[in-house]
Amino acid sequence: MAIRAMLAKAIRLSKAPVVAIIDDDESVREALSDLLLVQDLSCRTFDRAETFMAEYVPGKFDCLITDVSMPGHSGLDLLQRLRSIGSSIPVIIVTADTSPTARSRAIRDGAHAYLTKPISSEALLRHLQSALSQVSPPPGDGGQGTISDG
Amino acid sequence: MASPNYDALTGEGEHPFTYRLGLQLSDFASESVIVSDAHGVIQYWNAASEALYGWPAMAMIGQIYEAFREHEAEHTRALLREGRWEGVVRRRHLTGTEVIAAVRQIARRDANGTLLDIVEFGRNAGAMSETAIIRLDAELQGYLAASWELDTSPARSVLHTIGELRNRGIIDDLTEHPEWVERLLSATRISAVNDRTVRMFGAHAGHKQMIGHPVGAFWPAESRSVLATLLEAVASDRSRLEVRKVGSSGTMRDPIISAWHAAEPKPPGTVVVTVKGAADDDRTSWELQASEERYRKLIQYLPTALWQVDSRRADEAFDQLKANGVRDIAAYLDRNPDLVEHAKDVVRVTEVNRDAVSLFRASSAADLINPVRYIFAAAPGLAERVMTAHFERRRNFIEETKVLAFDGTIIDVLFTVTYPVPPEQLDTTFITMQDISERLNAERQLRKLQADFTHAGRIATLGEVATSIAHEINQPLTAIVTNGETSLRWLARADQNIEKVTQLTSRIVSNARRASEIIQRIRGMAVKQELEKRLIDLNEVVEEALLFSRHDIDSKSIALSTTFDSGLPRVMGDRIQLQQVMINLLVNSVQAIAQSGQPTRRIDIQTAIDDGGSVVFSIFDNGPGIAAADLEHIFDRFFSTKDSGIGIGLAICQSIIAAHGGSISGSNRSNGGAHFRFMLPVPTGPGAASDVANIIQQTHPPVQ
Repeated sequence: MAIRAMLAKAIRLSKAPVVAIIDDDESVREALSDLLLVQDLSCRTFDRAETFMAEYVPGKFDCLITDVSMPGHSGLDLLQRLRSIGSSIPVIIVTADTSPTARSRAIRDGAHAYLTKPISSEALLRHLQSALSQVSPPPGDGGQGTISDG
Repeated sequence: MASPNYDALTGEGEHPFTYRLGLQLSDFASESVIVSDAHGVIQYWNAASEALYGWPAMAMIGQIYEAFREHEAEHTRALLREGRWEGVVRRRHLTGTEVIAAVRQIARRDANGTLLDIVEFGRNAGAMSETAIIRLDAELQGYLAASWELDTSPARSVLHTIGELRNRGIIDDLTEHPEWVERLLSATRISAVNDRTVRMFGAHAGHKQMIGHPVGAFWPAESRSVLATLLEAVASDRSRLEVRKVGSSGTMRDPIISAWHAAEPKPPGTVVVTVKGAADDDRTSWELQASEERYRKLIQYLPTALWQVDSRRADEAFDQLKANGVRDIAAYLDRNPDLVEHAKDVVRVTEVNRDAVSLFRASSAADLINPVRYIFAAAPGLAERVMTAHFERRRNFIEETKVLAFDGTIIDVLFTVTYPVPPEQLDTTFITMQDISERLNAERQLRKLQADFTHAGRIATLGEVATSIAHEINQPLTAIVTNGETSLRWLARADQNIEKVTQLTSRIVSNARRASEIIQRIRGMAVKQELEKRLIDLNEVVEEALLFSRHDIDSKSIALSTTFDSGLPRVMGDRIQLQQVMINLLVNSVQAIAQSGQPTRRIDIQTAIDDGGSVVFSIFDNGPGIAAADLEHIFDRFFSTKDSGIGIGLAICQSIIAAHGGSISGSNRSNGGAHFRFMLPVPTGPGAASDVANIIQQTHPPVQ
């Protein structure tokens, strides 16, 4: 492993990871943040993509868990937007949408995982862990996320 | 002198410019060659011209041509119009005697159409007999005219009988015996025609459709007896040439009809007929041709199957019937079915377009250029109705009917006829057909659904809200599962957080309730129900309907606003069915907006009381609105425009609202977008009754 990458990892691990959760449904937001809490992970919740983007700066969040169907921009729009501004933040999609189109769009834009509701907390935490331990992906690694039904 | 060479006349034939290169050699030619400029000044005069007319070149070159050519103004017009003229002229010799010359004149033009000069070739025709000269003239001018070569041999017995009747004094003037005119014209067959004939006498498809057919099938009404008279006169006498002037007809002004018996080697009984006259239009013939060409292209590429029909023969019959006092044509046709059958054979298709060829599964247009009989093959009574409309001088006829394609398929079509009205050309009746079999099939299927319209409504709406329901139900389920699993994780920890577990468990319970409520609603939507009217609060119904559509609206980034009139009186209605109406309208708006690409997307929902005291539900969107042409059809039972997203649901909406005694309407907003509203009457009657109903409603709320 290159010195620079090891250094980056060391710096990243030097602070506690912060996970962003976006879902327009309050009870889902609450449930997810409580699940992270029990694992001692800190998180911030947002009710839609726009409020997340208003607060987004590169490096602020270590992972993003987002719903797809929401008022305003969808989770998939957000993923695309993040990639277009050069962000490689791992994104875990959590959705009720089982359509192959949505799934393949998520994969194309480099989602880390695609889980369908209702999700298994075990699967979510597993993907979250792998996302957080992930070093900045090499260029062109857009579509290599772990894809699972959870 | 041979009869006209039709092969040459019909195609490119002799090219007028063949002689151009030979001009210098024409000094030695035996034919007179004279060239004059656009002003008529003679530029060239060869030795043969000197011999023929006596005038030396020196005297003629530089002279005005017109002075030499008296009485030729009329044919000069034809020359300038057509670019070419041939015929016999009478001119003055140097010695003062008359020179009879057969000449061929060619007007040469540059690329812009400006007249350059006129070249004339001439030879002496003076040695011929007068009849021979007239016939030569007629034959030379034949190509300028519509020329027909007719075979009268099949009409020999008809001619013979006419001759007999004439001898016995029964027939004097054929004009007074239309039945014999018709017999003669039906028996006389066409053996050749030139392009001009094809163009002017209706059978645009080509020579093939005319040759071998009776001349009577094509000859115009106004001069049928003239033609019969001419045929009778020349059919048996090779030496005769008959000429008649007739009144203006069709595209010709004051046409002149000439007929003569063709000379050897044509078989006896061959009669040549020419029709000459200025085109009834100031434009030159090639302009006329170009405009015809454009018109035919237009017809060819019209995206609907189109037939042009020459129904003049029917007109004649109708005029006759009217003269005989027939008023109720339908009854008359019933009693005289032969007339209908006859019309199917004499009324002819003269032109069809590509869509017509493909609709009838024909291999080429020629298959359709026939008498109209085939059009009516699959539709009993249609021909009668088309004729009736024609007789009654209606402008249009329209009917949904069936036609039989050439491959045996029966096709449902929307059949329209547009009849010509004088002074339009009477040979242009238009028939159009639109294939509606697909539409009718869809209608048949829908009718099956409609038989149980609540069910149909369910299919129309539930399909569209299925995603919405999945989303709605998944949210509380996700919360329940995650909260449950989080509780377990807390309980598994060394530092158990009972307070947190209690909180999570209560969340599980409330989310489970929420899921159960949603399931109740879905059941309400899905279960087939009779119209179950109760007193309801429309605002509540709207709110429930929005629950089902919210996801769809949100996911398409549509801003939804609601304005509820809080003082709305209750109305009698079926909650579930009214929700179906609202969801349908919402789905339509959402689809229309999503498709419009509007940057700001809005749906506004309002409830209100209108001036008449009825309760009104309105939905406004800023989508593309309803196409003007569709406005009056949107509630038609089976109207559907897939593109604009207005589904069959609207017909069901209307049925539901009508069953509630209300009304539904759709319109376009002045600033863009559509506005749908429905109105439900507020129960009236004695106030007491209404109060009682209210009390019952309040004390016994309807069971969901």
